This record gives sequence, C-alpha cells and structure tokens, in this order.
Amino acid sequence: MAKLEKALLALNEFGRSRKSDISPVAAVIVTLFYIVIVLTVPVSDPQRLVWMAVYPVMMAEYCGAGFVRIFIKSLWVLPFVILIGIFNPIFDHNPGIKIAEVSVSAGWISFVSIILRGLLSMQSLIILGYMAGFLDICSSLRRIHIPRILVTQLLLSYRYLSVLIEEALSMRRARQARGFGSDKLSLSLWAALVGQLLVRSADRASSIHRAMLARGFDGVLPLVDRGQSPDKNSILFAITVCVAVALLRWLPFDSWFGFLNF
Amino acid sequence: MHMADALVSAPVALSAGAVALGLVIVACKKVSEIKRTDIVPLMGVLGAFVFAAQMINFTIPGTGSSGHIIGGVLLSAILGPWAAFITLCAVLIDQCLIFADGGLLALGCNVINMAAVSCLLAYPLVFRPIAGKSPSVVSVSVASVAASVVGLLCGALLVTAETELSGITALPIGQFLMFMLPIHLLIGIGEGLATAAVLVYVLKVRPALFYDPDRISGNESGKLSKSTKRVLWTFAAIALVFAIGFTWIASSNPDGLEWSIMRITGDTELAPASDPPTAFLPGYESALSGIIGGVIMLCLIWVFSVLIFRKRRSSKVS
Repeated sequence: MAKLEKALLALNEFGRSRKSDISPVAAVIVTLFYIVIVLTVPVSDPQRLVWMAVYPVMMAEYCGAGFVRIFIKSLWVLPFVILIGIFNPIFDHNPGIKIAEVSVSAGWISFVSIILRGLLSMQSLIILGYMAGFLDICSSLRRIHIPRILVTQLLLSYRYLSVLIEEALSMRRARQARGFGSDKLSLSLWAALVGQLLVRSADRASSIHRAMLARGFDGVLPLVDRGQSPDKNSILFAITVCVAVALLRWLPFDSWFGFLNF
Repeated sequence: MHMADALVSAPVALSAGAVALGLVIVACKKVSEIKRTDIVPLMGVLGAFVFAAQMINFTIPGTGSSGHIIGGVLLSAILGPWAAFITLCAVLIDQCLIFADGGLLALGCNVINMAAVSCLLAYPLVFRPIAGKSPSVVSVSVASVAASVVGLLCGALLVTAETELSGITALPIGQFLMFMLPIHLLIGIGEGLATAAVLVYVLKVRPALFYDPDRISGNESGKLSKSTKRVLWTFAAIALVFAIGFTWIASSNPDGLEWSIMRITGDTELAPASDPPTAFLPGYESALSGIIGGVIMLCLIWVFSVLIFRKRRSSKVS
C-alpha cells in the first residue's frame, strides 16, 4: 500500500514543481539532446560518461532540486539495468583496461557503463520534471503538433490520477479494517476490488461527460495555452547547454589529465 | 518490462520512437472518427484507473510474492484497440515523466513493446476471435489468458531484439531469449488470470462496459481505410530511412566500430601480438587519468553550481 501513498506524494510534489524560468519546449529539447548524446557514448568508454555527469550536476542545482536528491531518486532505475547488464561480466572476458596493476575485463567496463548510462539518463529525466512541470510539458507537446487527442488524454489521466489513487486508497483501507490483520489479497478478492474500481471509474467518466456536455463540450477538449512560447533566454539557454553537452562528449579530456596516470 | 534509456542505443531508440509516433498518429485518426463524445473522458479516467490498479498487488499463492496488471488487454476489452492504445500511451508517458518509470528516449520502445503489442496485436488477433461477439465467462477467461501470454511473449521478444540491436548486452541472443521468454510466459499467465478475473467481474456486474464495435459508428473496428494504410506505409518508410541513416552514422563512429571489432574478433586485430592478454588496449592508456580527472572536475563543478545557483536564488528571495 505504501506504493499508492508514495505515488500520491510524488504526484503532489510533481504538480508543485516548475522551478525555472526556462520554457518547457527548451527544457524538453535539451533533455532529449542530452540523452541522445549520452547514448552515443560507447559502452567501452565509462570515463567519458563520468564527464557527461556534469550536466545533471549543474542542472540539478540550477533548477533548485539539489544533486543529492536527484541522485537518490535516480537509483530507482538500477534493478532492471543491473539485471540486464550483469551478464556482460559473465560472458565478456576480453581484456579491457588496467587500473594501477589490476586488470579489468571489458565485460565489467561495459557493466559500469550501462549503470552510468542508466543513472545519467534517469537524472536528466527527473531534472526535466523539476524544470518544466507536467502541465507545461503537455502544453509544449501541443505546440510541437503532437496530436490533440493524446495531449488531452495526458491531461485528463493526470487530473484523475490523484482522484483514483485516493479512491483506491480508501477501498484498500476499508478492506484492511475488515481483514483481521491480514494485508494480503487473494486473486478473487483483488479482482472484486479492482473490478469495483473499474466500474466506479466508468461511472465517474460518465458524470464527467455529462458535466462537460453541460458546458458545451462537442467532442474536442479546448486546451489552455499556458503562454510558454520560447523566449530569447530560453533559446539562448537551449543553444548554450546543447553546445556544452556536445563539448563534454567530444573534447579530449583524457589527454588533459594524462599527468594523473600512475 | 519498462525499458530504461541505458539499455538502448540512440539509433534503435529513435527508430522505435518514429514508428511509435506513426502508430499514435494513426490511432488518433481512428479515435477521432468515433462519434461517441463520451470516449474522451472515459479514456482519460480509465488511463488513471490502470495506473491506480497497477499499484494494488495480489498475492501469488505458494510463492510469497505479489503481482499486478499491466492493463493492455483489459483496456482494449473496454475501449477497443485504438482508444486503448492511446490511453496506454498516455499512461506510459505519465509514468515516464512523473514517476521516471522507463526512459524518455526509450519511450518509443516501451510504447511498441507494451501498448502496441497488447492493444493492436494480442487483442484483435487473439482476444476477439476467442471471446466472440457475445462473451461468456469461459470465453473471456480463455481469451484473456491467451491474449496476455501472446502480448507478453511478443513484448519480451521485442525487448530482446532491441537490446541486442543496440549492442548493449554481451549475452548471446539465444541465451537472452531463454532468460526472457520463460519469465514472461509466467508473467503472461499471471497477467491473463488477473485480467480474466476483472473482466469476469465486469461481465457479471456491468456487461454494457464491454467494447462492442457494432455500437460504435465510424470504422473503429473495421479494416484499415486507404488513407490510414497510406499513413502507415509513409511512417514505415520514414522509420526505415531513420533506421538505415542512424545505423550508418553509428557505424561510421570510430569508437563504436573499434569496440564492435573487438567484440567480434577479440583483441588479435587491435592489440600487438606481443602484448600480454591484460595489457592496455590501444586508446585506453589514459583510463585512470580520465576517471580521476572527471571525478575531480565533477566535484569542482558541483561546488561551483551550488555556490552560484543557491546564492542567486537566495538573493532573488530576499
């Protein structure tokens, strides 16, 4: 049940976020560019990925989230990534690098790279949430001509997420109060609970529909333009960050720090 | 099942994104042809329902673990394939942007692996033929399990293909499949039983909720119209161009090529014959310096960012 409560908390926190003046379009473009560039780093080159971490470190502070919080949130991605990546050290014994006198196989190097790629891309995604906020991202999606129906669905499902999570929570609490200490749900009991939630959701949808019809709904939901067209600052921000990310990817930092080799 | 960005390469993710976007545009066109105006709020609320339902777990007997639904077949049975596809896409985007579940660039892969496969493949080709026009408890149960198993297995096949095409895992494709398919067969059976249990409940208390193509005007359930086919072919062609273009760009990257050669041929072509097996490979002499230098610079930049941005914010507040 903690999952439902955690989701509600995350949702409320996300709804409040938007801690920068940067246009959401610019934030989405910069994030996509960064993730694409991170994914072009070969898995045999983890040291380059360490350099690529400059982006989340700086942006986390810029948007006011704090890097430690972003880093801890990003650890969530690790289980699935480790599950797939752990086969690399097992199957790939080719020689990789030598750190001091210890040889490290290519499998371990690619494993570390996969974990770093996972953490960096996840961190940039969380930062996007802090920078832009969900509703503004939806408005910007409409601006770049993503179909109206999909954007409407995003807004409606976002609006009703907290309502239905609260409804699921109250149903679950009712069950717990009558469960004599047992918190487990058998499949049949679970089906009755979820089925009831489904029927209630459909009822809610039909009353929403009636309310919409009463307000002149004709099948198309008008979207409020939140006035987030990219201003000069946002364009400058996007160009600067993209250039900086490209420099991080291709500048030969390794040779600059050659004196550290021992 | 949600793929993270770490497990795909840029060419694979962008190609999958192009294909997914094409499918979304076709689906939006199909849904806009539906004359029912209540489909819009119904899709939105059911998207939120799937999300909430995924957080209520049932106990799997004898194992001590628990499971939840994914919801593709369930949504298709209520909304029809195209509307369910858009709804599930919205759920996946919500999960990605709000809860950081699945990667942003891997969103196209996730849309194809989970939403497209279950709504546009498993539902019309498996669920509907088995469930028939007037579903009964038995036919709905069998159809749910069969469609969920097919959907999950196809999804697992696609995850394997995408990861292998990305060159991320050293696991040979045969062994990868032997790892993925049995797990997803079990998950599929669990998903199928859970979907069947909910749909049987709905069949008993509110059978009118089931999707019935005859009630819906427009050609929601019919064959693809000519214009839709044209759109599909156009997007397939764009996706192919993307795939070929990006693969070419990726393969012309010397780092990637060098690594690929090393993976395929071992180190005999790249390292001098006299080198001991654990010697530095060409191009990796500065590994330690790069890592140490990178970490030092990261720390410095972090301190710098904290000082600059926090100071600026506090001055703004004051």
